[in-house]
Amino acid sequence: MQTAIAHAHDAHGHDAHGDHAHHHDVSFIRKYVFSTDHKVIAKQFMLASLLFLFVGGLFALLIRWQLAYPGEAIPLIGNILPDTWVSDGAVTANFYTQLLSLHGTVMIFYVIIPLAVGMFGNFCIPLMIGTDDMALPRLNMFSFWLVPPAGLILLSGFFFDSGAAAAGWTGYPPLGPSSGAGQTTWLISLFLIGFSSIMGATNYLATIVNKRAKGMQFFQMPLTIWALFITAILITLGTPVLAAAISMQLADQYLHTSFFMPDNLLVGAPDNSMLTGAFVQKGNELLEHKQLLGGGGQPILWQHLFWFYSHPAVYIMILPGMGIVSDVLATFARKPLYGYKAMIFAIMGIAFLGFIVWGHHMFQSGMNPLLGTTFMLSTIVIAVPSAIKIFNWLGTIWRGDIRFTAANLNALAFIATFIIGGLSGVFMASAPVDIYIHDTYFIVAHIHYVLFGGALFAIFAGIYYWFPKMYGKMLNESLGRKHFYWSFVFFNLTFYPMHILGVGGHMRRIYNPYIYEFLQQFQPMNQFITFAAIILGFSQLILIFNIFWSLKYGKAAPRNPWQANTLEWAAPAHPGHGNFDTDITVYRGPYEFSLPGRSTDFYPQWEEPQGQPEEVQAKDPHSSQHA
Amino acid sequence: MSFDVSKAMEWAYKDMLTFFPENVSTFGSELDNLFAMIYYASVAIFFITYGILIAFIILYRHQEGRRAYHYHGNNLMEFTWTLLPTFLFAGIGLWSDDAWTKSKSAYRVPNPDVTIDVLGYQSGFGWQFRYPGPDGVFGKKDRNQISSANPFGIDSNDMHGKDDLVIISPGGARPVEAHLPINKNVLVNLSSNDVLHSFFLPNFRVKQDAVPGQWIKVWFNGTKAGRYEIACAELCGSGHYNMRGLLIMDSQQDYDAWLDQQYKLKKPETAPVADSTATLAAAPDSTTTKKN
Repeated sequence: MQTAIAHAHDAHGHDAHGDHAHHHDVSFIRKYVFSTDHKVIAKQFMLASLLFLFVGGLFALLIRWQLAYPGEAIPLIGNILPDTWVSDGAVTANFYTQLLSLHGTVMIFYVIIPLAVGMFGNFCIPLMIGTDDMALPRLNMFSFWLVPPAGLILLSGFFFDSGAAAAGWTGYPPLGPSSGAGQTTWLISLFLIGFSSIMGATNYLATIVNKRAKGMQFFQMPLTIWALFITAILITLGTPVLAAAISMQLADQYLHTSFFMPDNLLVGAPDNSMLTGAFVQKGNELLEHKQLLGGGGQPILWQHLFWFYSHPAVYIMILPGMGIVSDVLATFARKPLYGYKAMIFAIMGIAFLGFIVWGHHMFQSGMNPLLGTTFMLSTIVIAVPSAIKIFNWLGTIWRGDIRFTAANLNALAFIATFIIGGLSGVFMASAPVDIYIHDTYFIVAHIHYVLFGGALFAIFAGIYYWFPKMYGKMLNESLGRKHFYWSFVFFNLTFYPMHILGVGGHMRRIYNPYIYEFLQQFQPMNQFITFAAIILGFSQLILIFNIFWSLKYGKAAPRNPWQANTLEWAAPAHPGHGNFDTDITVYRGPYEFSLPGRSTDFYPQWEEPQGQPEEVQAKDPHSSQHA
Repeated sequence: MSFDVSKAMEWAYKDMLTFFPENVSTFGSELDNLFAMIYYASVAIFFITYGILIAFIILYRHQEGRRAYHYHGNNLMEFTWTLLPTFLFAGIGLWSDDAWTKSKSAYRVPNPDVTIDVLGYQSGFGWQFRYPGPDGVFGKKDRNQISSANPFGIDSNDMHGKDDLVIISPGGARPVEAHLPINKNVLVNLSSNDVLHSFFLPNFRVKQDAVPGQWIKVWFNGTKAGRYEIACAELCGSGHYNMRGLLIMDSQQDYDAWLDQQYKLKKPETAPVADSTATLAAAPDSTTTKKN
């Protein structure tokens, strides 16, 4: 049952890596900096994104300090920050708005997407489908090398007089185009990182379709690969729309088009040099800057275009995590993944529905309420494939033999937090309930349960799981568990109370909540959240320490340390450029754990069947539907 | 820097639903009930799934000599846990749709007893209110006459506009105070002249973005006299947090008395007819070529 395509390309692949095996004399620059080896590129994505994780985390803690103790000097660093950012050691309202905009942007576009898609996509795809490298290695290199300039452009905004982008991570016009050079850096940076995503995604698709190992059928691919495959489809369909929207906002800013700008705007900042217009004069007094060019644009159009990308982006961030968790759970429960095909169809369902629900971000935007009904119903339907996934993961650990490695703890935590994040999503999916909780901390709690609790815990699980194959060293398990427990406890203490703030009506993105009488009671709760967030932030240093400690002192990793079934574990302990030292042929699906009649409790995909494998299979009544 | 532990931990020992601010609108209780229904359903699902998760983690933890059960799944189970959530969520969807239509749908705004215009603004950050004046009729709007002196763009040629009453912040850091009568259907026409804002009345369960270039209808019916806060829920610049306003809900008599007082305070020459401004603003407009 081998497809002709897989066969033909596999032959090509083997030629290629036989060739690569002799390429040990490449220069340092080509090997570690401008490398075309997918594993090196994955490590580059990991390091860059972990760096950005701390940048984004620092922004979050500055925001948290202001919410806990508004106007009080930030401890330790408050008095050394420049005057354009702080006054008397406390962040200014303007800087606060920049911080919240960049916190969201950095965490979503520079941490979660590059880690979930850039890092795991690059590392896992060629290894788990048993090939030597990506289909287009040089394109792959370019996709990483757009990230550092994009990130620097984004952060450079902080050093402008007018500051970094301050229109939120959503950049809604007219605030976006009217807020100066910082917004321009934000737009350009997102355009570049989106381009990087598109290059990566086309490469993933080409690789998965064309370069699977001999004998590997689509329905023999591990869930991680399925998830990345469908994520890549989402990226190639969604990201160009974001690029178009960004180009339109740039044109509104500089070319005086009017895609998003209605006529007769009274833009409040007279010193704003970005918009050309006339000043309305009353005597000698300049009253305001009035936008006179163009006109007839529609601010809500941006929201449609932005969310047409950014809602699927939520799934771009979470689907790879779902794939990773499926693989990690099955391996450490020593059980086949429950409902393998149902899990794949659920991912497809989520991905499809992900493109027809974007309007649920816009229930209160002024969009026709009749459309709200449509988007509400399609959004509620997404709960069904999500529930299917939860039940199948529970089915996977049912009657298993669960090993609580650091990787598996993080995978289990993913399920736990995804249940809460999924349930809180039902509240805002209901359009009338969303009227009240929209743009409150209830939303902030929800997105952090899904993106930190969900995506990031899955990413941690993946790092603990694949680190041995990445570096040839085992990560320290004891430090790994400590990192997990501190993160999990303080994650919940940070983000669970935010649901309560939201129920109390606490708006997001406000510099000082306590000018409102109805929010004054929440200051102690905000202080609690801030202290929990500080500990949560510092807990992440354990992971960084563990990575560097293990690189130096960690035990050498064996070829297959977790006794897993998928193809990456057939490669040498620390694979070089070209990956595999043997010919890989795939004989079975990725989850044949604890098969009766075998001495070991795993049965790797690449292991040649001994004796009469058909009879071994036939003994088990349930394997037939899967085989 | 102070820290009150018992207040800080309120989230842990108090029922989440008790944190809602008091509801004082007619449809608010329906929205709160819907929230509560989803909340109780979520709590139930939470305990079931967490119960299973924790039980499996304890029951099936690694033990020497144990071998996991080789089992790939069961289609009957897949159908079950596809269909059960479908029915549950379909129910939530239908109930939600009913509440949504009542509270939000532009086609279901009940016959208004009072109609006002509200503008969010960015220069100074706040809200402006416009009442139709003693003649009970709003002056026509002309977008080309919008200026900071005439933010609503009241047409200077329309006699009905001369007596329109505009309520703004009394200055300084003091919030604007608008009055409305209780037990009346209030229709708000909402807009903005600069960036997006969101008109948020926590006690009324009302939230609606104000979009420049567009007048959006919002309605509510307040049930209790009192003083309520108005907030902005859409990022509108560095002063976003500072858009606090006050909405005073009066009995009909108190409301009428307040309106009379405002009419007397309003001097005829302050009628928002900034002719010179309007001409200046309109002139370049007419010569600008359309870009799209």
